[in-house]
Amino acid sequence: MQRFLQPAVLSAISSLDLLAKTVVDGFVAGLHRSPDFGFSQEFAEYRAYTPGDDLRHVDWNLYGRTDRTYIKRYRGETNSQLTVLLDASNSMQLANADVSKMDYARYLAASLFYLAIKRQRDAAGLIVFDDEVREYVRPSARAGQMARLLAGLEHAEPRARTDFGKPLHHFQQLLHRRGIAVVVSDFYEEPDLIVKTIEPLRFHGNEVVLFHVLDPQEVRMELKSASVLVDLETDQRIEVIPEYAKTTYRQKMQTHIETLQSKARAAGLGYRLLLTDQPLDHALREYLTLRQMGNV
Amino acid sequence: MGFLAPWFLGGLLALGVPVFVHLLRRHVTVPRPVGSLMFFERGTQSSTKHRRLKYLLLFALRAALVLLVVLAFANPFVKRPAANPAGRLLMIVLDNSYSMRAGTRFNDAKREALEMLAKRTGSQRAQVIALGGQVQVLTQLTDDGTQLRSAVESTQPGDGHASYGELARTLRSLREGSRQPADLHLFSDVQKSAMPASFADMVMPADVALTLHQVAKGSPTENWTVGSVDAPAEIADVKDPKQSRARVTVTGFHARAAKKSVSLLVNGHVVATKQVDVPENGSATVEFAPLDVAYGFNRCEARIDGGDSFAADDVSYFAIRRSDPEKVLFLHGIGDTRSEVYYGSALAAAARASFTLQSTSAAAANDLDPSRFAFVVLSDAVSLPSIFEHNLQDYVQKGGNVLIALGTAAGHHARIPLWGSDVKNTHSYSANAPAMVGQVDFTHPALQDAQPGRDNGGWAEAKIFYAAQVDAANTRVLARLNDGTPLLLDRAMGEGHVLLLTTGFDNLTNDLPLHPVFVAFVDRSARYLAGAERLAGSRMVDSFVTLRSGNASTANVEVIDPDAKRALSLEEARTAQTFHLERTGFYSVHFASGRDAVIGVNANRLESDLEPMPQDLQQLWAGSNGGETQEKAAVAGVAKFQRVSLWWWVMLLALLVVLAETALSGSYMATQREDA
Repeated sequence: MQRFLQPAVLSAISSLDLLAKTVVDGFVAGLHRSPDFGFSQEFAEYRAYTPGDDLRHVDWNLYGRTDRTYIKRYRGETNSQLTVLLDASNSMQLANADVSKMDYARYLAASLFYLAIKRQRDAAGLIVFDDEVREYVRPSARAGQMARLLAGLEHAEPRARTDFGKPLHHFQQLLHRRGIAVVVSDFYEEPDLIVKTIEPLRFHGNEVVLFHVLDPQEVRMELKSASVLVDLETDQRIEVIPEYAKTTYRQKMQTHIETLQSKARAAGLGYRLLLTDQPLDHALREYLTLRQMGNV
Repeated sequence: MGFLAPWFLGGLLALGVPVFVHLLRRHVTVPRPVGSLMFFERGTQSSTKHRRLKYLLLFALRAALVLLVVLAFANPFVKRPAANPAGRLLMIVLDNSYSMRAGTRFNDAKREALEMLAKRTGSQRAQVIALGGQVQVLTQLTDDGTQLRSAVESTQPGDGHASYGELARTLRSLREGSRQPADLHLFSDVQKSAMPASFADMVMPADVALTLHQVAKGSPTENWTVGSVDAPAEIADVKDPKQSRARVTVTGFHARAAKKSVSLLVNGHVVATKQVDVPENGSATVEFAPLDVAYGFNRCEARIDGGDSFAADDVSYFAIRRSDPEKVLFLHGIGDTRSEVYYGSALAAAARASFTLQSTSAAAANDLDPSRFAFVVLSDAVSLPSIFEHNLQDYVQKGGNVLIALGTAAGHHARIPLWGSDVKNTHSYSANAPAMVGQVDFTHPALQDAQPGRDNGGWAEAKIFYAAQVDAANTRVLARLNDGTPLLLDRAMGEGHVLLLTTGFDNLTNDLPLHPVFVAFVDRSARYLAGAERLAGSRMVDSFVTLRSGNASTANVEVIDPDAKRALSLEEARTAQTFHLERTGFYSVHFASGRDAVIGVNANRLESDLEPMPQDLQQLWAGSNGGETQEKAAVAGVAKFQRVSLWWWVMLLALLVVLAETALSGSYMATQREDA
């Protein structure tokens, strides 16, 4: 049995809620067999009680034996804050594979939200942007937050062009608390500019990870004959010959990916390339890794 | 250059279709979306230009295809000077039919043919063909002048009836596979009666230029002939006024009214001469009776006095065989008493048959020898003594004939003697709805009727109440009932024949004996079964005589021609099945069955009508194949041109264009699918 459902299979599930539950439950069930990750409320340490601590966390058994008050701390109890920045520019509607980049990004965001809210009880928020912020759902762990987030994802239709500068500046103003910021985009911009724009998020103590969503055809472009290509964002058209697409284009794209990855890592940003024909577990695993790192 | 069918050039309007499709209609290209063009550069090879070039090539191919198809329908041709005479074949056709015996026609034709051969250049190949009752190719294509001349000189006038339709058919088969054009020169009296029923049948092949050389020009000369002789082939009683007579019809073609004397010659001696007044362009009949002929075969001639230029047709030959009345063995079943009365009465009433009936019960036939009888009739006699049946089988194998009538006894006793198969079933029809005779084969000698009327020659009035169903395999069905049941069948067995009537001769199983057609049937079938028709009488030139019936028989046959010479070689005498009667006069024939015959052979009387084909028809015939005759070219004094049609080449080119267009459009469509 296939452990993770392919995006093509997921596209048949109309409800994002159900989709996210399917993905995450499957993912978590798989984690139980893994020795590397543990996120349940396992014991971490004892800490001396200080006034102001919640008396509910005092280990009264220990107090009975030692007559001292200690606070029992667990790994999972430290709440984190997940904010997903979703690129909804026109280029995201490209769909050479079974699902478009936008749909894949939606599945990814929904799965992250589900994992964060339902499983980790973390606060989660959403920013949908293109050349400006189009949708903002404030991070929260309250009841109904999941529904708001999914509604935000549903409304996120590709539009306009990508511009990281403006929405990220706005985002910096919105972030008051440290957490995990996930940027989901196809990153059709100069790597220097991308990193330079996103890097300030790190300054607030956020863990930032870039999910680079690309269509397989964008990485391994193939043309049977000379074709007219149209840019989905600018509507510009040029004619391209197959030899160029097969050689120069692939080199340029590979260089772009590698440059973005190296510069992101150099700036302390996480980076993960996701192709729309791959299962979502890579992204979920990345998130959990980051969260664990943040807690430790 | 020109077009044989220029109206089809209107089809060039169809060129508008590819023009619209390629040049006027906008091409819709589907661009391929990409997320960003930041890594792309404009290709050095312009795909649009590439496609436009491909479109233009496709357009040119399609336009060329339309153009070529239209041109092919318009049938373009080029005029080329006709090949020099040495490049054309020369075909000399010499008419040696019966009519060419009139006057000096044949000699004139032969002389003109020799003159034509003398004009031939040394390298020109030629062929000599004789047109008589059959078209004979006398030489192969050759440039040997001596051979050609000797072929013409050795040709003798024949007695056959020429047919221009047959000539055209032969030429068509000769010209198959030959691309060299031919000039055909026909030396003939161009007789009108030699034309086939349809003019189209005598049209020459397209590459044959026909030139007619009419040897007898002017109005046709008057001619009288013995049109027909109505005389019995066999006679028993020379004093019987019904049998012993010969009616001679004298016919005049383009002749004034005249008194002609007609003589009857028997074995070379004039026995009677009579005068007859022949009307203008009409016929008159004179009767000679009684015919006092000796026993055996008598070679008779009806001859009219001379007075016209065509003496050969003034005589008609026929043979009469005189013999005592022959006996017919009539075997009937035990309960069958009426059949003998009806059959015997009909046989006696028959005008031309001279038979005596010997009737006996089938059970009492043991001691009888069938070979002593002209033929044997089995009437409802389905059970024969085994010895007699064996003798009867031998009799049939050696050439004897048997008539079997199946009465009601056939229903009880399924086996049919001699026939070789059983009665399958019997049909009984009610008196209110009897079966009628549906089909009758009037070409069979036992039923012969030249012009059957609406009543099916009298058979339609007969009502059949009872008929047996028999196996009709390997038989000739001569008559059927209207429900398809065979009524009369003929099966060849060895040298003999068995006629099978699936109903009886009495008036219980049918009412056939009550109708006049019964007498005619008994008369003709008796003559057929007795073989009288084959043994004497007269035939037409080019007819055939059957010498033996079965392949198994190796008995020698013999044919003595009118010159009293053996017509067959020893090899042919042992194997020949038929003999072709190709001359007028008397033939003596000894058949494989041991019988002898003398047959008088006469020419087709259509040959006696010397009227030539009308001049306009001659011109139409000479120009009917689309070619130009040499005569016309000579009169015009211009070089002779021939039109060479190019449509075949144009269609070939169109086919190549179709293939190229298919390949190109196929690759283009494949590209479009990949792009999509």
